[in-house]
Amino acid sequence: MTLEKSKGYKKVIQWLKSSKKKPFKFQTDAWQYYAEGYSGLVNAPTGFGKTFSMFLAVVIDELNNQEPVKTKKRKPQGLKLIWITPLRSLAKDLARAMTEVCTALELDWHVGVRNGDTAQSEKLKQKKQMPEVLIITPESMHLLLAQKDTSRYFDNLQCIVADEWHELLGSKRGVMAELAISRIRGLLLEKHPERLLRIWGISATIGNLEQALEVLVPYEEVLKTIVVAELEKKIEIRSILPDHIDMLPWAGHLGHKLAHKLLPVIEKSKTTLIFCNTRGQAELWYQNLLKLDENLAGQIAIHHGSIDYDLRNWIEEAIHTGALKAVISTSSLDLGVDFKPVDTVVQIGSPKGVARFLQRAGRSGHSPYETSKIFFLPTHALELVEAAAIKEAAKTNNIESREPMVLSFDVLIQYMVTLAVGDGFDDKKLFEEVKQTHAFRELELSEWSWMMQFITTGGESLTAYTEFSKVEKEDALWKVKSRQMAMRHRLHIGAIVSDAMIKVKYMTGGYVGMVEESFLSKIKPGNSFTLAGRVLEFIMVKDMTALVRKSKLKTAITPSWNGGRMSLTANLGAILRQKYNQTLDKTHQDVELDIILPLFERQAKVSHVPKDDEFLIELIKTRDGYHFFAYPFEGRQVHEIMAALIAYRLSKSKPISFSIAMNDYGFELLSEKPIPLDEENIKDLFSPLNLSEDIVASINSTEMARRKFRDIACISGLVFQGFPGKYVANKHLQSSSALFFNVFSDYDKHNLLLRQAYDEAFYQQIEEPRLAAALHRIQASKVIIVKAESYTPLCFPIKVDSLRENMSSEELGERIARMTAEAEKKTARVQRRKKNDHQL
Amino acid sequence: MLIISDLHMGKAAHFRKAGIQVPATVTESDLDKLGRLIEKYNPEILLVTGDMFHSDMNTEVQAFSAWRSAFPDLRVILIKGNHDLLSTDEYTDLQVEICPKELLCFPFRFVHDQPKVFDEYYNITGHIHPGITIYGRARQQLKLACFYFGKTCAILPAFSLFTGLSKIRSEEGDKFYAITPEKVVAV
Repeated sequence: MTLEKSKGYKKVIQWLKSSKKKPFKFQTDAWQYYAEGYSGLVNAPTGFGKTFSMFLAVVIDELNNQEPVKTKKRKPQGLKLIWITPLRSLAKDLARAMTEVCTALELDWHVGVRNGDTAQSEKLKQKKQMPEVLIITPESMHLLLAQKDTSRYFDNLQCIVADEWHELLGSKRGVMAELAISRIRGLLLEKHPERLLRIWGISATIGNLEQALEVLVPYEEVLKTIVVAELEKKIEIRSILPDHIDMLPWAGHLGHKLAHKLLPVIEKSKTTLIFCNTRGQAELWYQNLLKLDENLAGQIAIHHGSIDYDLRNWIEEAIHTGALKAVISTSSLDLGVDFKPVDTVVQIGSPKGVARFLQRAGRSGHSPYETSKIFFLPTHALELVEAAAIKEAAKTNNIESREPMVLSFDVLIQYMVTLAVGDGFDDKKLFEEVKQTHAFRELELSEWSWMMQFITTGGESLTAYTEFSKVEKEDALWKVKSRQMAMRHRLHIGAIVSDAMIKVKYMTGGYVGMVEESFLSKIKPGNSFTLAGRVLEFIMVKDMTALVRKSKLKTAITPSWNGGRMSLTANLGAILRQKYNQTLDKTHQDVELDIILPLFERQAKVSHVPKDDEFLIELIKTRDGYHFFAYPFEGRQVHEIMAALIAYRLSKSKPISFSIAMNDYGFELLSEKPIPLDEENIKDLFSPLNLSEDIVASINSTEMARRKFRDIACISGLVFQGFPGKYVANKHLQSSSALFFNVFSDYDKHNLLLRQAYDEAFYQQIEEPRLAAALHRIQASKVIIVKAESYTPLCFPIKVDSLRENMSSEELGERIARMTAEAEKKTARVQRRKKNDHQL
Repeated sequence: MLIISDLHMGKAAHFRKAGIQVPATVTESDLDKLGRLIEKYNPEILLVTGDMFHSDMNTEVQAFSAWRSAFPDLRVILIKGNHDLLSTDEYTDLQVEICPKELLCFPFRFVHDQPKVFDEYYNITGHIHPGITIYGRARQQLKLACFYFGKTCAILPAFSLFTGLSKIRSEEGDKFYAITPEKVVAV
């Protein structure tokens, strides 16, 4: 029987017809493949009903195979569909949409939600009777596996869907999802080998769709396919331009100078989503817009990850009903939920990548065939070039790939303990199961044995780890026996590591959100700060909660959240270099480039504007020391490594210390001694020869691996994060990841986690292939060295936007002696430097 | 007399008991270091200004006991810190003499944490594991354990390797001596 003739299909089509809808071809394709038992990946633009392509496939199958009901009420059958979603905020709306479908189709399914925001009572209810559809995050899947007697939940499971798979892919949360899927599949295979479990992903367009499917469904014996929607989403991209280039600062990340130009945009639109790159920036923009136009009070809201759940909920609700004119948000609103009233999107500052920008654009004009409208608001002058580049990339659909993570030992160790906390595991069986996942395909038996030792005896040599206890063997299964240890483990399941967060609560009750502990330690009682767009007076910290009251002040300081900083992608970098060419040559149609022309002319006058076959180096001497600026346009991350590499190579011949700064366009080496550099040695310095060795050597002396180890120590359970307002860490067990890093480096060199830190630094942070490609490109380019008199328009943003680290080949003692000698002059110099920075 | 602070004997084992993997070699090397110092200077008394033992009795405390027997003539005096929770009998077994609060030895008061009011005694304390960040030109920085000497109080660095550092705020006239792998330098 063909699918079209089946009763379920007809019922769904009829229902769609009644609401004047017709399925797209990719949807019916997906339904067909699903009916034939395929797993796979659906790729479609936002707004074309990706959700329905999968959800209705499962529903049709259910309607076709459901046994007729004899009594009035059907016995609940437990989980049929697990729907993995990366963001908690997606769950509620998905559940609503799915419930509506079930009601309309008279299907007696319950749709449940399970994530960090789910109430305990709801979880208990689910324990008694699982709903047929469960919308869940990767973390909550692991928490589910950490419960006793979980295998019974999955007896009737038909399908696992990973929604927004491109978001999970490439992160440790993706690895968590891979592992959880492999376990659930394994449990089902063990009990009912005859049953078919389908695994589907839903993904936006990325450069490596094939690989994305391979990661999600690594099993060879499974039928799999990719369903691509041949639909094009219309996107209109416009920049908010200054009247004159002088209106824009040379550096900065706020963009307030153009804020007034945003008001008419908001005015003309029904609802506008304004995307910022950081939470702190969002808070500032909220205040600033209110300052500019008081009429906006009550009509705009702010939404980010550190705002309390209830508040966020309320805001999302208000967007749905169209009650808000504008919402300022961070990536917390990047994904999925369909906000119908939103017709305009604004991106403030560089979106850093093409995929992210298009995803955000897609938040407006969500219905099929509607045009998405996005405005780009540059925060500093050079970002105008980025605007032109991103338009070009959108036109040519030049979209980045997402590299999946492999061999994340920390996640695997956490997962093993998770299973030990739950029903326990058989190490031989689990090894085979884990090895089938994409992430651990290359896992060696020796590595597995090391991890088993790590969680059972503590580490490699038994003598070195006396008295260790964690996972023990009981009835042929490895289990965690201590209840206390189990509880502590459950509390810190997850792969997102943040700084210690403290909940913020009104004296009179009601949570506002969270701020970092380090921020609170800097402000005194009576001081005010802003959160969720409110000005709050800090009173005291009690039980890991900051108590506040409403402040009478209009403005106050904004907390900073140390989130990860995004780096410019390779795709965007390449187009950016071309745009630099076109600006001076005037071979372009971009108004952005016309506006920036005077700045480029100035750069050309004091230094040089690099073409895409040129490599510019600027040498500048100031009071601070000797500056070396280089401009590869490869993104912050690549520059960080390249800077360390060059610093290392420079210091090989003669001892010299540097501090390093970088942004997405280039990097700076700053030293108090003249930098031994000229036309002769420059190509050797940037040579791709001996790259790996030199990287290892330069990383060793920097702190990169140590920084990577911070997350690893948290995820693998060495360091406890503590949870805002929930859990006070045992004081006697407090330690830092840096301490562990030192201890392992000194006493346990073969520690796999230590190796992982270096590997991660090497492959993710360093992106060696990309670095090598960049160096090859530089070799082929014409090197231009300019000795500039003062800071140039190009180097200025690097100067300001600096994330510094040290690189030294000098002896420690020598360095201290020198640094001490300078100490007396220090205070005076700091002040001078500050002044200096302002003048720049 | 050899004076040290914050030995945190048994901390690594305490972590291991809780399922956190810390190699015992950390403690061994602390004891080795202490042994070498005692052989070199041959003091009559080892004075510990608090936090000698991290938590309750465990194998590492027993390791200390074995180490202790190599120095039968050495008097070990402990000024109790917030971490020292062993019972009186256990201290007796380990041949450690206890000062519950402080040890006065004019003009010095040896005490674990600095007192709130100051008198004619100069306080020598531990507890906070002092560290110092040294800034250089070109925005360089280094973080090191240190000795601190203030107006009313001196703070000793933590002896144990398996301890963190807390930065101290300096006031006019304070002196710092940073510890590098080779030597101690004034900063």
